[in-house]
This record gives sequence, structure tokens and C-alpha cells, in this order.
Amino acid sequence: MTTVVNLLTRAFFMSTPLILGALGEVIAERTGMMVTAVEGIFLIGAWGGFIGAYLSGSCLVGFLLAALCGLLVAMLYGLTTVYMQQHQIVMGTAIAILVTGFCTFFYRVIFGVQTTPLKIETLKVIEIPLLSKIPIIGSILFSQNLITYLTYILAFVSWYVIFKTSLGLTLRSCGENAEAADAAGIPVTTVRFLAVAVAGCLGGIAGAYYPICNVGMYNSEIIGGRGWIAFGICFLGNWSPLGALVFGIIFGISEALGVYVKALGLSGVPSELFSALPYLLVIILTVARRQFRVPAQLGTNYVKEE
Amino acid sequence: MSVPVVELKHITKRFARVLANDDVSITIHQGEVVALLGENGAGKSTVMKCLYGLYRMTSGAIYVDGQEQKIEKPRDAMNLGISMIQQHFSLVPAHTVTENIILGTCRGPIDYKKKEQEIAELAREHHLDVPADAYVKDLPVGTQQKVEILKALYLKARILIMDEPTAVLTPQESEILMQFIRGYVEKGNSVVLITHKMKEVMEAADRIVVMRDGRVVGTVDKEEVQETDLAHMMIGRDLEDLKKSAWEESADRKPCLEVRDLSIRPKNQAPLLENIEFSIREGEILGVAGVSGNGQQELCEAIYGAADVTSGQILLDGEDISHLSVRGRIAKGMGYLASDRHRYGMVSDMSLSENMLLKASYLKTWVNHGIIKRKKLNQDTQKAIQDYSVKAPDCSVSAGSLSGGNQQKLVVAREVGMGEKMLIFDQPTRGLDLGAINYVHKTILEEKERGKCILLVSTELSEIFALSDRVMVLYQGRNMGIYQADELTTEKIGLLMAGYDPEKEKGGNGDEE
Repeated sequence: MTTVVNLLTRAFFMSTPLILGALGEVIAERTGMMVTAVEGIFLIGAWGGFIGAYLSGSCLVGFLLAALCGLLVAMLYGLTTVYMQQHQIVMGTAIAILVTGFCTFFYRVIFGVQTTPLKIETLKVIEIPLLSKIPIIGSILFSQNLITYLTYILAFVSWYVIFKTSLGLTLRSCGENAEAADAAGIPVTTVRFLAVAVAGCLGGIAGAYYPICNVGMYNSEIIGGRGWIAFGICFLGNWSPLGALVFGIIFGISEALGVYVKALGLSGVPSELFSALPYLLVIILTVARRQFRVPAQLGTNYVKEE
Repeated sequence: MSVPVVELKHITKRFARVLANDDVSITIHQGEVVALLGENGAGKSTVMKCLYGLYRMTSGAIYVDGQEQKIEKPRDAMNLGISMIQQHFSLVPAHTVTENIILGTCRGPIDYKKKEQEIAELAREHHLDVPADAYVKDLPVGTQQKVEILKALYLKARILIMDEPTAVLTPQESEILMQFIRGYVEKGNSVVLITHKMKEVMEAADRIVVMRDGRVVGTVDKEEVQETDLAHMMIGRDLEDLKKSAWEESADRKPCLEVRDLSIRPKNQAPLLENIEFSIREGEILGVAGVSGNGQQELCEAIYGAADVTSGQILLDGEDISHLSVRGRIAKGMGYLASDRHRYGMVSDMSLSENMLLKASYLKTWVNHGIIKRKKLNQDTQKAIQDYSVKAPDCSVSAGSLSGGNQQKLVVAREVGMGEKMLIFDQPTRGLDLGAINYVHKTILEEKERGKCILLVSTELSEIFALSDRVMVLYQGRNMGIYQADELTTEKIGLLMAGYDPEKEKGGNGDEE
């Protein structure tokens, strides 16, 4: 029993950055912008988050710097795609690769080559009074860190904004029919750029979660494709924040499972198989899913005739 | 007369290299319907898009209620009470009617229930039958247009610009639209009707502004003008008169194409075609009428072999060709002019010669053991350019550099050459100007004289009537009946196109309107 509770606690803990990144992706993709730079945004978030936290000794500074780094990369992506009409997938992938080199290089410039990895203190768990005392659920849901709580709240808030407010209608219209949105007087390019910027901030924080909340150190393999998993979760969740929440948890479970199996050291089952689980899951679930309600103009740039 | 609501003064609009509008001045008064008449590319839509803020004019001025206004984006126009319904609707198919209408008009949380009631009420008030909570993608085009109208009414528009509004409507729906327009201007509003259809202009407009080559060539009151004068003003010359030879059913004409019990039923979807049966004889044109999207394209593709058929048989000259591939059918002498030449008919970046070769790359005509016989291909293309009077410098220029009408002539030339026995024309004149339409029609009639059997799909009734010997009406993939062209009236065909069979519904009286 305790194993299951521990596993689920770990699952919710691990799902946080995936959900956070996916939420940013949902917001941007709803306006038609496929943020394919997401892996790079995660990585620069981890890099900036670690540096901020290490140099200042404060996790908050770390997250702020991570959000800023994510924002800058997203703005570069937005500038080239939204305003300069470059191909979204090509641009995003190029930027992701650029970021990889940037992070490795400047990590060495700042810290030199270290024999033992530099460490930071991880973000503390906050036990919510009363709620955390509920058996089972208390330790799974209410003994998590601040970012996890905020992420879960954000999922519900963004669902409300996207489907129940005029801002959400504006976002969705830009992704479904930009010409119609434009004719209705909505500044499509501005909306798209801002949505990408928001995705950048959220992605940056999500990336910083790995050094600051999870391992307490940084290396250039720290993200290891998790940005792409967040990207996949956005698809699987049918571009809904609540869908992203559900699939984020599923991936959290599979990731927690990988860690546990490795820790238990089960003989006969290669632990690498479980580490690969989330990635296999993306492929299996995507194929199994019959229908997607893809925003009609996802990935297409809006070129206004003048 | 009082101050005009809108005055466009000396508007010039230049795209990179093209002068789309040259010194256009138009006045719109309160309570009138102004028709903007002209061929495709005459600059009608462009000048109205300048007024609506979608385009920025190069020079000129716009006065609303006597005051000069800067209209830089659609929102500016809306604030002045100007709305425009574009030819391709500005609707979000995946959203509800209500979401579409309130888009861009509100702030903060939306009370969808309340908004839906508001819109339902507005629809009732104007006798527009629109369900406020339905998804736009589920609505027929006629209703989608009403959503567009509601959008304008919701914004309290007093000047409504409509770009080719009847292109997607049945004659009855057009009639209802015209009634709405009359009622709307009687309340002191104004309407600008962009169109190339003479009949509509004569019916609905108070004043007619004729445009040609980006300029206004004349403004006339409806009472003072004849249709033929308007046509002359529009194209700058007179049109060639077309005569179709009388069709006589005689025993020595044998059926060329026979279609038996043809159905396309995709899984979990409404059938696209249901039990279609007909035959076309040599030298006969069968017109297929219907509102677009009622199975016409599927029918053409099924005959041509490009669609998966659920059941049915297709015979050409008595030979069953149902199992043949597209290539096999081309070899049997079938030509197919697809409705959208940009998607299915040509490659813009390739030369005219290469486009001629597009469907014949495996035939011996222009290819010898896999190597293109350039010289022969170019000669033949050059000949086609001359025969079909395609306006092109030579056969090496890219197809995309030609005007739409000339592109179409080239594609027609190719298909006519390929189709030795039968030709399928799907919307052969869509988007063409009157001169080119005239030419394509002439070609179709010539091929008929040569004894080819021809299937002509068109959403323009005038085209169907001008060319067809017999007419089949399609509605939601069903054959509503095959008639001799001369026994059909516009009214009857309109009812058939909307899915009513007037003969089966004799109980109701037809003169309620």
C-alpha cells in the first residue's frame, strides 16, 4: 500500500513540469502556433533556473530567471515565425538545437569544468494544513511543492479562460480561422505572439523544475526529450487544459514507475525499458487515439494581404 | 439629395505590380442598394475591401456622413457602421453560431446562455432562421450566410457590403435574400451588392456602378438601362452568340457512358452518392445541376476512377471500366477537367509544355523510352496555344504567370485532347470572366458536335441551360431526376436543388410567396 501511495505521490510530482509545459503549448497551439522550440525552452529554463538558484541561493530567483530565459527563446521563435513568416517546425527545431549548444557552452564559461557536479538545494515540500492529514489522498495531493500546486490550479484556470471567456474565444478563433478573426477586428499576429510568449514563460519554469525541484543539479541531458513529451501531451489532451492534466498524470505515473523499478532493482526486467516507457507511451497513445480536434490552422502562418 | 452616407473619392489601390483600382469614386446614399457590377478582376472586391479596412488604399479618401475618415482596420469600419460579408465567409466552422457572432465584441467571462438568447431574438426579429447554439460546420451554406448577416446586424451595421452573395444559394434562397435586402434598406440602411450576375442587378439594385479593369466605366440608374448595354459596358465588347444544336433522340446514337447503381458510402458518414443511374449518348451533353457540395465532385471522381466506389458499374462504349485505374481510363479516352485547377489540374511553377505533358507522361505521344520529346511537345503546345487563343508569350513560361482564364483554356485544351470519347467538365467556368466563359462554352459545344459524350457539372444554372441537352439534379448525393433541358423552369430546378420534388408534393400550393 505504501508503495502505491509513494508511487502516486512521485507521479504527481513528476507530472508537474509536463503539465505546465503542455499548458503553455495548449495556449499557443489554440492560436495556431505550434511551439516546436519547446524542448529548447525546457532546456534553457533548466539552465537559467539552475544558474539563478545557484548564484542567489533562492529558488524563486531561479524560477524567475528560468521564466525570463524561456520568454526570450519563445520571443525569438515568435519573431521569426509570427512576424517574419518562417516555417514553424523548421524554425522551432533550429532554435532548439541552437539552445542546446548555447547552454552547454555558457555553463562551462560560467562554472568551468567541474569534477563533481555543483549542487543546489531543492524546493521544499509544503504540507497543506488539515488537507495533508487525509489518509492516502493527503500525502499524494497535498504534500507537494508550490509549483505543483500552482500548476494544478493553473490547469483549471486556463480551462476556464479558454472555454468561458472572451479572451479564450479570441485565442481559439485565431487558431481556427485567422482570416475570420482578423475580419472581426482581432489583431491576430499580436495575439499569436503573446500566446507564444506565455508558452515560453511556462515552458521555462517547467524546465527549471528538473534542477530546482527534482535533482538539485544541472547537466545538458537533464531534459532528455521531456519537452517533446509535453508537446505530445498537448495533442493527446485534445488541446484542452484538463486533457493535458489527465495525460500529464498518466505520463507522471509512467515516469515514476521507471524510477521505482530502477530503485527496486528487479532482476530480469531491464530498467531501461521502464525509462523508455513515457516515450513509447507517446507513440502508442497517439496511434491509438482515433480522432483529434486539431485547431484548423495549427502550424500555418497568417499572412495578411495588404 | 442629402449628404451621402459613404463617399469614396479617387481611390487608387496598387498591389506590388498590379494596379487593382485606378481613381475609383463611388457614392452610396441612405436607403439604396448599389450594385457593383463587373467581371472577375475588375477591382470590385478590392475597392470594397479598402472601405472595410482589409486593404490599405494607396491614395484617395473615404467620407462617411460627410466627414473624412481614416479606416485602417475592419474594427474602424465596424465602428462607423460598415460591415462586409466576404465571398468566402469569415466564419469559424468549429465554433457555434453565437461564438462566431460575438467574436471580438465582448470582454471578460461570457454568459453563453444569455448571449444565445440575445442572438435567437435578433434572428427572430429579422426573420432569419438560424439556430443560435448550432455549430457553423453543421449548417448548410445558405444558413451560414444568414449567420454572416446576423453578425453584421449584431454590430448594428447600417451599410452592408455583400460580395457575390448568391453564388452559393439556390434560386429560392436568393429570392429570400433579396427580400431581406429590400426590407433592410427600407429601414434606412444601405447595401452594396458586388456581383457579376446581370439578373440580380436588374432585380435588386437601385443604382448600378459598372467597373472594368480597375476603373469605374459608368454609373446608371436601373430604370434607364438594358441588360445588353450593361454587358457591353462590363466587357467592353459584345459577346459571341452561342447556339446549341437541337437535340434529337434517335436510335442511331448509341449510349457512350453508362452509370449503373453507383454509390459511395463512407463508414460512419452520410452517403456521398446513392444509387446514381444515367447514360449519356454520343454527342450529348448531360448537365448536372445542384448546390455545390452535393456529390458532384464525387460523381466526377467516381467516373474518372479517382474515388473509392462502394458499389455500382461504369460502362464506356459498352465495356465495363469499373475496375480500371485512372490511368486505364485515360487510355480509354476519358478527359476530366477538375473543378479546382490549382489543386487537381495544373502545376503553377511548371511551364505550359510541362503542364500539357502532366497526364500523358506514360503515353507514347511525347515520350520515347522515358525521355521527353521536347521538340514535339513544344510544337504541340504551341499549336494548342494558338488553337485555343491562350494569351501567352510562348510555351516555356510558367502556368502560374497566366491569368485565370488563360490557365483554364490551357487545361481545357489538354483535357479535350486526352478525352477522345468522353469529357467530364466540373465547373469549367468558375472564376472566369465573361470572355473566357464564352470561349470555353464554344469549345464544349464543338466537342459535342464531334460526337463526344459530355458530363457537365455546374452550379450556374445559366450555364446548365445554355449547354445541356438533358439535366440531372443532385441533392445530397441523390439523383432528383433527369429532365429534358427545355422542360425545366428555374423555379422547378431550384426546388429540386433544395431537395423538394414538386411533382411529389402536389398537396401544397406553390404560390404562397
